[in-house]
Amino acid sequence: MATAPTRTLPLFRTGWRRLRRRPLQYVLFVLGVALGVAMMVSIDLASGSARRAFQLSTDTIAGKTTHRLLGGATGVSQAFYVQLRRELGYERAAPIVEGIVTAPAVGEQALRLVGVDPFAEPPFRDYLNADDGALSLAPFLTEPNAVILSAEMAERVGLAPGDDLALIFAGERIPARVVGLIQTEDEITRRGLDNLLFTDIGHAQAIFRQPGTLSYIDLIADDEADLAPIRAILPAGVRLETAEARGNAVQQMANAFELNLTAMSLLALVVGMFLIYNTVTFSVVQRRSLFGVLRALGVTARQLGLLILAEAAFLGAIGASLGVGLGVVLGQGMVRLVTQTINDLYFVVNVQQVTVPAATLIRGLVIGIGAAVVASLPPALEAARTAPASGLRRSTLESKARRLLPWLIVAWLGLSAFGALLLWLPGVSLLITFTGLFAVLIAFALLTPPITLWLMERLAPVGGRFLGPLGRLAPRDISRSLSRTSVAIAALMTAVSVIIGVSIMIGSFRGTVETWLAATLRADLYISPPAASATRVEGTIRDDIVAEVAAWPGVTEAVTARNVSVLAPAFGREVDLLAVSGDIARDNRPYLWAEDDGRRLWSRLLAGEGVIISEPLLNREGLDLPPAPITLMTPDGPRAFPVLAVFYDYASDQGTIWMGSERYRALWNDEAISTIAAFVTPDTDVDETARAMQAAFAGRQELSVSSNRGLRNASLDLFDRTFAVTAALQLLATVVAFIGVLSALLSLQLERERELGVLRATGMTLSQLWRLTLLETGLMGALAGLLAMPTGYVLAWILIYVINVRSFGWTLQMRLEPGTFAQAFLVALAAALLAGIYPSLRLGRTVIATAIRQE
Amino acid sequence: MRTRPLALLIALAVIVGLSALWWRDRAAPEAAASTDFIAALSGDDVEGFARATEPGAIQFPRDLGPHPDYQTEWWYYTGNLATAAGREFGFQLTFFRTALTASAERRARSAESASPTNPLALSQTTEPTDQLTSWTTNQVYFAHFTISDIAGEAFYPAEQFARGAAGLAGAAAVPYEVWVNDWRAEETADGRVRLQAATDEVALDLTLTQTLPPVLHGDRGLSQKGAAVGNASYYYSLVQQRAEGTVTVGDQAFAVTGQAWKDHEYSTSALEEGAIGWDWFSLQFDDGTALMLFEIRRADGSLEPWSSGSFIAADGAVTPLALGDWRLTVEETWRSPASDATYPRAWALRVPRLDLAIAGEALLANQELIVSTTYWEGAAAFDGTRAGLPVSARGYVEMTGYAP
Repeated sequence: MATAPTRTLPLFRTGWRRLRRRPLQYVLFVLGVALGVAMMVSIDLASGSARRAFQLSTDTIAGKTTHRLLGGATGVSQAFYVQLRRELGYERAAPIVEGIVTAPAVGEQALRLVGVDPFAEPPFRDYLNADDGALSLAPFLTEPNAVILSAEMAERVGLAPGDDLALIFAGERIPARVVGLIQTEDEITRRGLDNLLFTDIGHAQAIFRQPGTLSYIDLIADDEADLAPIRAILPAGVRLETAEARGNAVQQMANAFELNLTAMSLLALVVGMFLIYNTVTFSVVQRRSLFGVLRALGVTARQLGLLILAEAAFLGAIGASLGVGLGVVLGQGMVRLVTQTINDLYFVVNVQQVTVPAATLIRGLVIGIGAAVVASLPPALEAARTAPASGLRRSTLESKARRLLPWLIVAWLGLSAFGALLLWLPGVSLLITFTGLFAVLIAFALLTPPITLWLMERLAPVGGRFLGPLGRLAPRDISRSLSRTSVAIAALMTAVSVIIGVSIMIGSFRGTVETWLAATLRADLYISPPAASATRVEGTIRDDIVAEVAAWPGVTEAVTARNVSVLAPAFGREVDLLAVSGDIARDNRPYLWAEDDGRRLWSRLLAGEGVIISEPLLNREGLDLPPAPITLMTPDGPRAFPVLAVFYDYASDQGTIWMGSERYRALWNDEAISTIAAFVTPDTDVDETARAMQAAFAGRQELSVSSNRGLRNASLDLFDRTFAVTAALQLLATVVAFIGVLSALLSLQLERERELGVLRATGMTLSQLWRLTLLETGLMGALAGLLAMPTGYVLAWILIYVINVRSFGWTLQMRLEPGTFAQAFLVALAAALLAGIYPSLRLGRTVIATAIRQE
Repeated sequence: MRTRPLALLIALAVIVGLSALWWRDRAAPEAAASTDFIAALSGDDVEGFARATEPGAIQFPRDLGPHPDYQTEWWYYTGNLATAAGREFGFQLTFFRTALTASAERRARSAESASPTNPLALSQTTEPTDQLTSWTTNQVYFAHFTISDIAGEAFYPAEQFARGAAGLAGAAAVPYEVWVNDWRAEETADGRVRLQAATDEVALDLTLTQTLPPVLHGDRGLSQKGAAVGNASYYYSLVQQRAEGTVTVGDQAFAVTGQAWKDHEYSTSALEEGAIGWDWFSLQFDDGTALMLFEIRRADGSLEPWSSGSFIAADGAVTPLALGDWRLTVEETWRSPASDATYPRAWALRVPRLDLAIAGEALLANQELIVSTTYWEGAAAFDGTRAGLPVSARGYVEMTGYAP
């Protein structure tokens, strides 16, 4: 290319001058980018921090462990560990007994109590082996329930060596004493030690009531040769895994949840991109005459395009920087919501500190700037193509835009088909599914201009008939400036449709869960040890209490359940196994598929003929219907169980297997009971009985005894808590959309200053001006609101029937509530009308002569 | 009378919390060891523990097993081996037991009656209820295992710890057994005990055959160590045991025979103040006799008057020796590059009462263990005359308190 005839620098000065003259437009541009980036960064930080906190604590607990020996439902027999030591002489092996406890002195959060054998520890966990004399072996081994914790954590919660503290496990209060503090220089370890308590393995076995069993055995092995002798004597039901496989397996549970959050935050950015596109388009359109002059003066097309992109990149950088900052702040709040849900549904994690990795910040900046530049690309190209002469005529642009309309319809069709194809593809990653969702969403946005034009052309005569000249003028104005108005409408439509789609999804979800709870929770009383997390049962109910509940006056039947995790070799992971003695749904349970009717099904289940599995397990593992027998690892080795039915379950997205309790006891040799559900006679006062039971068991075991209603409410509370993040994201998306619409319409109206000035000069009154403006913005808002309805519906359909099923395996019944649509329509209308107020005020004050002087 | 001072050192150190060593860096000798040891010596937390006070209390086979009411106990095996071709090896396999606390029951009892504890009560263990499954215990076991490859000029020390619970470590009288993880001594037939231990580098598999009845040291097994009542231990030895089996060094297994020495001692006691270390000798002569003696060195350069020894005739008859009965001189020393300690490595010994005059040296200069504590214990050879006739001996020497 030839040397540029004009230097670029003065060109940028024109950009700067414009920025100073129209700051509001650019403030909104920056705000749009900032909010989009902020949401993404905050979600990134929240899930990243939760992930990192979990990883740190897993790594810290693992120490130098390379491999781990794990058992099934009841852990690994310690006899096997003794065999490793005494027969194999395998020195680098350490037994661990761990569980989750709470300590009222420390606060609400769950703590991991890790029982270790100090004599086995030396090769494993440096921080326990520190030779500073603070850890005295004698008290650690011999003081009842002696615990040690990190010095930082002790300081934070106000504990010192010698202090007593009570631990709560499964409702039992365990007196314990701090006998030492772990000092470590290493920052990573220090953070990993947060919320960890260590005790002697003997105490841990007593606390977790698992005499003779270990949670797992840690190993250090240099190579496969080290492991060969262990493999040779590996008992049935014990498996050898690498240490990281273990942590990964746990973390993977929350993958779908986190990906969904990220997708939600990306939705906001997509809306934000419309806004950027809009703003940049306006800035180009408004300067077309200037660009025409510049081109005439010898500025190259390339320089012009570069100017636009540079402006966008510059503003994008400001917006992205602000967004990153805002995201870090928002992340602090978001992390609480995210970890709450992870704790409720997946695994215990405590985040004391939001880590801000550079990668997240850079990603935020790059995506923010990138979105700004990409969104500015079409207007930049447009500006570059401006011929020196035509640049002076705006109509060129509009006629070009109209020629584009048929192509938009083609693009809509193509993109919709592409999106549908991606959504239809079975067994692909969630990422591709979400890409499909975005494709469909953008396709709908592309359809907005043709529909707008079509509708406005038909509305003009109708409007004229009812509202006079203004009624005709408004739709015509909209269709005349289609290149700008339709973008604003599309942006508003997209934002509102997201609101509708997500609302329908959450509403349907809640409704489905409510119905399901009503159908399946038929027992009157539910007794379980209070757990540190909402959906998992930790610990067991004392035998004497189990017997007492069954014999309680008024109790007609006590259904017991034992909750354990067992390895399903075919799935390569542990699944929740519930050994039940009866159906708490009393044959009201809905089944996705069942071999028999409810009553016969349950008699076969309780007779030990097979198992029934939950729908999420079926979906998650991609099982056929009817499912083939499922293999589970029992203490005597793998064993296949025929599947008798598939039940709907919304309690876990990991999948659950139910088995008759007698069969379970026979195979696993485990008599413990995790929860009891009791049916009472009709004349029994349920709440009174709950209180009486709680009082009777107090002192022995603090149990949670809930009535049917109480449990249902608690379940729905949990549901609402889970969706708190989604709701927060939805709110943010609405704000972004609102700002986007405001900025788009504002620009649109401001740009028409001269035109309206002419109208005023030809006799339009101030009130007519107001009416025209509000009519126009109102029309656009209403149109966006209307178009958002089908889009939102499609979005909801995809979220419910594709995303949810693939992410969590839940089938939801879609529920449409007119309120949702009405609300969304009103949001669109309100945003649009609000956007009309400022220009009207401004134009009303403008001296007509000034407005038209430009010519 | 004979004390295994090293064992005492280690055991007391464990109690005091030196073994708050969850571990110690094996490479770095721990300065705290000796200071903590001094602290251990002056430690007087013997409340609630059984004390050794009665001569003649030892009964077999009952007392082959553990005595958890006493603070410290050890089963100590050393020996000198050789292949048919004459390649020499030495070994040490020692099991230590220490009670971290006195049992609550005993504490209560000793609070009730201030009278000295009845040693006959010692067979009643205070182990927690379910010893097979429970990990909770106040009994800690640890073991030292060394192989001295004389021809290969290499020394292989190792150490293991385990709690005396869950089957990981423990001891029993009938059948006799003592073990820490996979290192063990167990009775295989009447009068026969099999020793097994292995590390990544070396292994030992020996069968010991008893040839003499147990030697009771001191007054019928009560070995008084200080002026105060209870400052004593119960102590017996099995000497001149025939050893036969395999020593493995690297990939090479050697069929060996030789003599082994076993000590078993239990006590709750503190040594006199001012002691800084010990030199201990166990020699097994080619005429079937054996000699044990030790000297306790004090900070002021003098020797502890309670230093003592025993001479065992070929028929098992025991002659107790007091400090004044012998004269031991150091002829050569060796400086350890690892710990910087200077140890004696050659000696001359005269016992006029036995008409014994011998001289000898360590078979390897470096037989220093740098484990949770640093000391020297290794194979040695002595030659000389007794009653005018030439004698030669193989044996073990233990030297403590030299490391800074």
